[in-house]
Amino acid sequence: MSDDIFITEETIHGDDDGPLAGTTVAVKDNISTEGVRTTCGSKMLAEYVPPYDATVVSRLKEAGATIVGKANMDEFGMGSTTETSHFGSTENPAAPGHVPGGSSGGSAAAVAAGEADVALGSDTGGSIRCPAAFCGVVGIKPTYGLVSRYGLVAYGNSLEQIGPFGETVEDAAALLDVISGHDERDATTHEVPIEDDASYADAATGDVDGLSIGVPTELLEGADEGVVETFWGAIADLEDRGAESHEVSLPSVEHAVEAYYVIAMSEASSNLARFDGVRYGHSSDAEGNWNERFAQTRKEGFGDEVKRRILLGTYALSAGYHDKYYKKAQDARAWVKQDFDEALSEADVLASPTMPVPPFELGESLDDPLQMYLADANTVPVNLADLPAISVPAGETDGLPVGLQLVGPAFGEERLIRAASALA
Amino acid sequence: MTAQTVQQGDLVTVIGLEVHVQLETDTKIFCGCSTDRTDEPNENVCPVCLGLPGALPVLNEAAVEGAVKIGKAIDADIPEETRFHRKNYYYPDLPKNFQITQYDEPICQEGELEVSVEGDRRTVAIERAHLEEDPGSLQHVGGGGGIDSAEYTLVDYNRAGTPLMEIVTAPDFRSPSEVRAFLAKLEEVLEYLGVFDAERDGSLRIDANLSIIPEEEIESGDVTDIGAEALAAANRTEVKNISSHKGAEKALAYEETRQKNAIQRGRAVEQETRHWDESRGITVSMRSKEEEKDYRYFEEADLPPLQVAHWKDEISIPELPSARRERFQDEYGLNEEAASKLTSTKQVADFYEDVASEFDPDLAATWVADNLLGELNYRDMAITDLEGRFEEVTRLVELVAEEEITAKNARETVLRSMLDDEKAPDAIVEDEGLGKTDEDEVQQAVVAAIDENPDAVDDYASGDDGAINFLVGQVMQKTGGSADPGDVNQLLRAELEG
Ligand SMILES: [Zn+2]
Repeated sequence: MSDDIFITEETIHGDDDGPLAGTTVAVKDNISTEGVRTTCGSKMLAEYVPPYDATVVSRLKEAGATIVGKANMDEFGMGSTTETSHFGSTENPAAPGHVPGGSSGGSAAAVAAGEADVALGSDTGGSIRCPAAFCGVVGIKPTYGLVSRYGLVAYGNSLEQIGPFGETVEDAAALLDVISGHDERDATTHEVPIEDDASYADAATGDVDGLSIGVPTELLEGADEGVVETFWGAIADLEDRGAESHEVSLPSVEHAVEAYYVIAMSEASSNLARFDGVRYGHSSDAEGNWNERFAQTRKEGFGDEVKRRILLGTYALSAGYHDKYYKKAQDARAWVKQDFDEALSEADVLASPTMPVPPFELGESLDDPLQMYLADANTVPVNLADLPAISVPAGETDGLPVGLQLVGPAFGEERLIRAASALA
Repeated sequence: MTAQTVQQGDLVTVIGLEVHVQLETDTKIFCGCSTDRTDEPNENVCPVCLGLPGALPVLNEAAVEGAVKIGKAIDADIPEETRFHRKNYYYPDLPKNFQITQYDEPICQEGELEVSVEGDRRTVAIERAHLEEDPGSLQHVGGGGGIDSAEYTLVDYNRAGTPLMEIVTAPDFRSPSEVRAFLAKLEEVLEYLGVFDAERDGSLRIDANLSIIPEEEIESGDVTDIGAEALAAANRTEVKNISSHKGAEKALAYEETRQKNAIQRGRAVEQETRHWDESRGITVSMRSKEEEKDYRYFEEADLPPLQVAHWKDEISIPELPSARRERFQDEYGLNEEAASKLTSTKQVADFYEDVASEFDPDLAATWVADNLLGELNYRDMAITDLEGRFEEVTRLVELVAEEEITAKNARETVLRSMLDDEKAPDAIVEDEGLGKTDEDEVQQAVVAAIDENPDAVDDYASGDDGAINFLVGQVMQKTGGSADPGDVNQLLRAELEG
């Protein structure tokens, strides 16, 4: 099972002691590890060995963790199935014959298969929460700015965060304790004091007495019936422990998927421009001038999904289309943020199914990118709003895992951890 | 522009500038790498300035400080908040294949700089000035020497990430000489601010837009006031690769003539980018308008918006050359010419004020402005070449002020030897035996010479003025040449006529 989880299996030992001593960690292969290749699931970087550690990797080492491998992923994070990886797909350990979700599919699968105690993934539009839901594990997408992105190979840099996976909320929270906090190498990070508890892990008390849960009706529309049923079962479970739930509305989310893809692809078209074969990575040996060589290198190094997103993003930023697409998407992003602020003024946390569907069968969605994009409907609004979210196992439908997503206010990770730990 | 035959005199030249200035900071704008120039290529580099996957920019506050100083010096609006954008284009000197720059919220907007052109004061409007990162540098090897014709091209990223300030003027220039005056003045201001090193290769790079407009299209009849419509109607060329104020004048004079000739011959001027070839003294066509690039600007999310409002109040700038020039005239009673010379660089002005605080300001002005700068200029040296030796120059002025040596010896022997042989003034006085003889001794020699040479005294009395020269020679002989001949002359006349 494990041979399709890691792109590179390599043991990287951390310090002798620390809060994660004895803990094994799988690291998504878009997080730079000094001396160990970091491929982003792409032919472009198949041989690329970073000369430096990402900040989160340094923090793992200082905390005494043992990194066991670089986990498979959709190429450059572009996908929800881990099938766009140049290194082949990963089978879902919790649902054989199905995808593990994506793009951090290898990280979630590593935890689900017991190949690692915990794992790091990254979430641009659901890339931690989707595989957590599909593999039946816990995944946290932190507030934008809580975890340093230094060393995370960028896809949509205004949207993405590195975050933890664990079998339990407490395990994931303990990893968040290690990786979070200000980093002088990432100007978008903040130091966030934890109010009530000494650590995120300590917040995993499972105490939901008096918790007010808002359920955005828009995020249930069009979802798979079995998924919705399992979702309400988990909400009932929380209500049994003293929480209450009520409906809220997020009217702007109907534009969220379109806005998200315009922004993420626009940013990707710029972030991935550096792969030209001059300094690192795949370099075409085709004849031609510098421009032709750049083009050939990119033609050979990138897969179809990456090319599709770079082309669409370039188009959305072009003169004459910029206002129609990129600018409009930014406006939509502002509305989404505002809607979340209002909904969170009426509830402590917002709950929805993490994914509107159960895990796809392997190969099912590859031919239809639009179906794959629409499956992100419940996760992408959270990235547009820069908010924290957690996916916890809610149960199963037809033997397939279903995840419950909780969304909280900016830097409200403690609240999410406390609530979610009632379920896992 | 429709091609039409008109007389040269009916044509007005309109020029606007984009000036790229390297800011003098210890480290690069988005990483901790040194900005020192090294001979080894790709030595001052790190994941950030190499654009390695995952690396992120962090803004160097020293670059912002430099930008705010420039903003204050050109009297620009500095907004509450400023932002960075990405300018996307592919080029081998650009590590990320985008440049982090500023777009619609630059750090400086709507400033101005007053220049004096052939005695006239002119105010040049500065539309904006913004911060950005410098790309790396390319070296084309073999073949035709250009990127498309070379055998291969070497890339050096040492320069990548050096902070740049791009200063964009309004199309306010009417002649290449105005451009030269403006650039010289700008350089002077930047050096005064301590944010710029003119000696550094490539520290100043200029792109200039030049168009020629028929005079009748200027409605108001005032050549400094050209309507946007007339400007838009005229085709312009963008001249790139200019690296000095002298080069700018030459390049634009060439381009002005080229365009005027075309119009006079009834040919249309192409809207295009042209490359200034300094060695050949001509501009060459680079690319035409059709290939104009779309840079797909969008916000750089890795750098949060920067609040700069309080920086404006907290950062002070030194007294600028024009203000200092006026103060020198008021405070030290100098004429405008001397005040201008003494404020030509901050170091000269600082040194002058040092000397003037100890000695007579007029004497100090003569010594710094005329003698010192004159001798330096003659040797193609700059005040910076005297680094660490200012005390020696001050000592020389002291020797003159206290009349221990003559002004003539000080200037012609001591100063020159100081510059040529790098000797200290006291050592030169000693070695050359220039110490002024004690006044009593000179007086005694004068009396003795008169006593011993009655014939010469008679000749002088009978109106033979040449006799005085003989007596001066006698006195000089008695004093071993250490007396000042002019002083001796006067003492002799006083003694003979007394
Ligand atoms: Zn660097």
